[in-house]
Amino acid sequence: MTDIVVTGIGIVSPLGVGREAFWDNCSKAKTGIKKITSFDTSSLGSNVGGWVKDFDPSQYISPGAYRRMSRISRMAVASSVEALKDSRLILDDTDRGRIAVIMGTSYGSSSHAEEFYIGLLNNGPRGAQPFLFPETVPNAPASHIAMFHEITGPNSTFCQNEISAENAILYAQNLLLQNQVDVALVGGADELSAIQYSCYDAVGALNKIKVEDDEPVNPKLGGGLILGEGAGVLVMERPDFALARDAEVYGILRSGAITGGITSIGHYEAKGEQMARAMFLAMKEANMGPDDIDQIDVSANFSGELDRMEYNQLKRTFIRPLNNLSITPLKYLTGDFGGAGAMRAAAILLSLHNQVPLPTVRAEILKSEPECSLSWDIHPRGKSQVALMTSTTFGGGSASLVFTRTQ
Amino acid sequence: MITHTPKRVAITGLGIITAIGESMPTFRQALFNGKCGISSISLFDTTGFPCQVAAQIKNSNLEALIEPKEIKRFSRCDLLGLIAAHEALLDSNLDLERSPCSKIGVILGAGAGGMLSWEKYRRALWSKNTKPRPSLLLPVAHCTLTDLIASRYRLTGFRATISTACSSSATSIGYGFDLIRSGRQDIVVTGGSESLSELTFAGFNSLRVMDPEYCRPFDKSRRGLSLGEGAAILILEDYGRAEDRGTTIYAEVLGYATNSDAFHMTSPDPEGMGMSKVMAKALERANLGPDQVDYINAHGTATRVNDQMETKAIKRIFGEKGARDLAISSTKSMVGHCLGSAGAIEAVAIVQALCEQVVPPTIHLENPDPDCDLDYVPNSSRAREIRFALNNSFAFGGNNTSVVFGRGQVRKEESGI
Repeated sequence: MTDIVVTGIGIVSPLGVGREAFWDNCSKAKTGIKKITSFDTSSLGSNVGGWVKDFDPSQYISPGAYRRMSRISRMAVASSVEALKDSRLILDDTDRGRIAVIMGTSYGSSSHAEEFYIGLLNNGPRGAQPFLFPETVPNAPASHIAMFHEITGPNSTFCQNEISAENAILYAQNLLLQNQVDVALVGGADELSAIQYSCYDAVGALNKIKVEDDEPVNPKLGGGLILGEGAGVLVMERPDFALARDAEVYGILRSGAITGGITSIGHYEAKGEQMARAMFLAMKEANMGPDDIDQIDVSANFSGELDRMEYNQLKRTFIRPLNNLSITPLKYLTGDFGGAGAMRAAAILLSLHNQVPLPTVRAEILKSEPECSLSWDIHPRGKSQVALMTSTTFGGGSASLVFTRTQ
Repeated sequence: MITHTPKRVAITGLGIITAIGESMPTFRQALFNGKCGISSISLFDTTGFPCQVAAQIKNSNLEALIEPKEIKRFSRCDLLGLIAAHEALLDSNLDLERSPCSKIGVILGAGAGGMLSWEKYRRALWSKNTKPRPSLLLPVAHCTLTDLIASRYRLTGFRATISTACSSSATSIGYGFDLIRSGRQDIVVTGGSESLSELTFAGFNSLRVMDPEYCRPFDKSRRGLSLGEGAAILILEDYGRAEDRGTTIYAEVLGYATNSDAFHMTSPDPEGMGMSKVMAKALERANLGPDQVDYINAHGTATRVNDQMETKAIKRIFGEKGARDLAISSTKSMVGHCLGSAGAIEAVAIVQALCEQVVPPTIHLENPDPDCDLDYVPNSSRAREIRFALNNSFAFGGNNTSVVFGRGQVRKEESGI
């Protein structure tokens, strides 16, 4: 038995700040990708991203507490506050040593690393600011969550590019199943910074698209990444613990698998065999087959290399008439970031809980052929029992998770 | 699938590169001889910093130790890690052509990763004199080495990179232990790599926690840590599988625990409660009592607070008398604090101690601090019975990890000394 239940969700996303705003826009396929105005992009080849526009940390955290936090830490802590509140877990009645905090991020606070290093370049050793340095470690968000809630259980941070949050979710599952902890705050977070954006631009990875202020963004399919940012935190528990406290359950993490594809730095697995194996292993562990899957949230991110590979593997795995295969490439709405897996998992769980399928596109769109265009189908309330989340990252790792509706 | 009978976890391969030794034989000799690797740095300009020393690997031709293919795409951190992984995999005698590579995972700890490469890029951009090579940005992600090792040896099993500052690679060993114990993986390549970088060097200098000469853990006159660099890779393997193929089992991983101080980003809990609890939990998971442990490889950074708190925490778990019976040492006195790879380097030191039944020393310990009044094995290694050993790693953000090791099945003539 590998079931873990999810009892709380907190989100700071390009689709909206807070769980309700996120779900509202997500279920309507309203995009969070827009012109970046939070930093200067005038010298770059692109100027769009899935960035979080109206985030006010004071809605969640006192100014004294967030003053020294980086943007990523603020978003992560805010998400944890919302998730815990949502779960109705009373921390004072819970052994805080048996609560884990496990997060995933690609780079942590790249803006603090940049600011610290530029201070050093400009002014030499005297320019190195001691208050910036601690925020440069990727585990700062998870540590802030622990400090904020005084949670003293296992604490860890995974950095595996675009499967960072998936890694965090499966490590938390590992701790819960071993009865090391009763509860885990699990998530992913990343910040979109000027330095990160310019570095992705320099290596030619971005979708070359420039828009005016309120102009709608029409990314080129297969044309390159659109970066995003945000944070998502899930409250995960063993079913017995959730049952004992009569917690409301969003859904069940039934199984998960991680595999490693063989590729070179900066590239996705070429054919996707290991991505397909991760899907197969996750479904096998859940005692399910492709026909049992009602929804598929895919990892496509506008990068031709990934999207085409994912299409080929979905085609092989789900042997259905192709016009029947609908998928949800949520990153087409949010942009891509390493910790996005928690936000994607949250979308799936809200969909299963609300019994409203996620918006979908036809799978063929991933082929990124010239005749393809991005068109979303919005679904009315309807039955959905099982969802598969597939993730793959440049560097070769792949993850698959199976979620089911609460019985 | 998760099995219901937990498997035992053997260590069947070791590889290392540090400032005191660039392979297992040279490291082993330096470790027991108490060699200091801390000296001036040539990797970058240290003018103006209060501390200008670190344990840098001085070999200027590291590239010669691995194939030159794709060399421009590797960061220094990746190079060090690949060198250690190559040695560890050779040492394990695994026939990768015939092994089920889909059940061989790679789980590493990372600190600053390819930061040094990013700094080269950023400095060039800042100076406006030269156009930086975008390829310098490719190895910046913390998981680059994990992916490189997996791809180089075609290992398609589980893949993860843990980045919790100074406890990263200790936790990666722990996660590798979990995955083998549960039957999810047969073998895990684990450990970590760290190269010196300007950012970390300036960062620790800015916090005023670096000793301008060399670190002296547990000494009354200690003034802080010395940074270091290096990589250590351990091959973890299902114990039964290792026995079946008749390979040397250097040691056994028996358990681990992680927790959080939930106190401060850079200072440990002043009572050392998190440190005590993580040691107690690791022993509980290993089914051991404190009286069965003979050696602790301490976090022992030589900051004023750490060494006092760690001593206090050890006494709380082992009792005043029990704590005095322990041998405790800080490998960081020799190799410096290697941050993301510290736990893995110290795990290799523990494995050597278990194999040889010799405790490595804490060097530069001349005037014991009255608040640090345990046996830190000052300056010279010492033969003693070591049944079980514990490694402590305490990190920025209050992340604590302890790992418990036991003896393996090494015959003296195989040990290489």
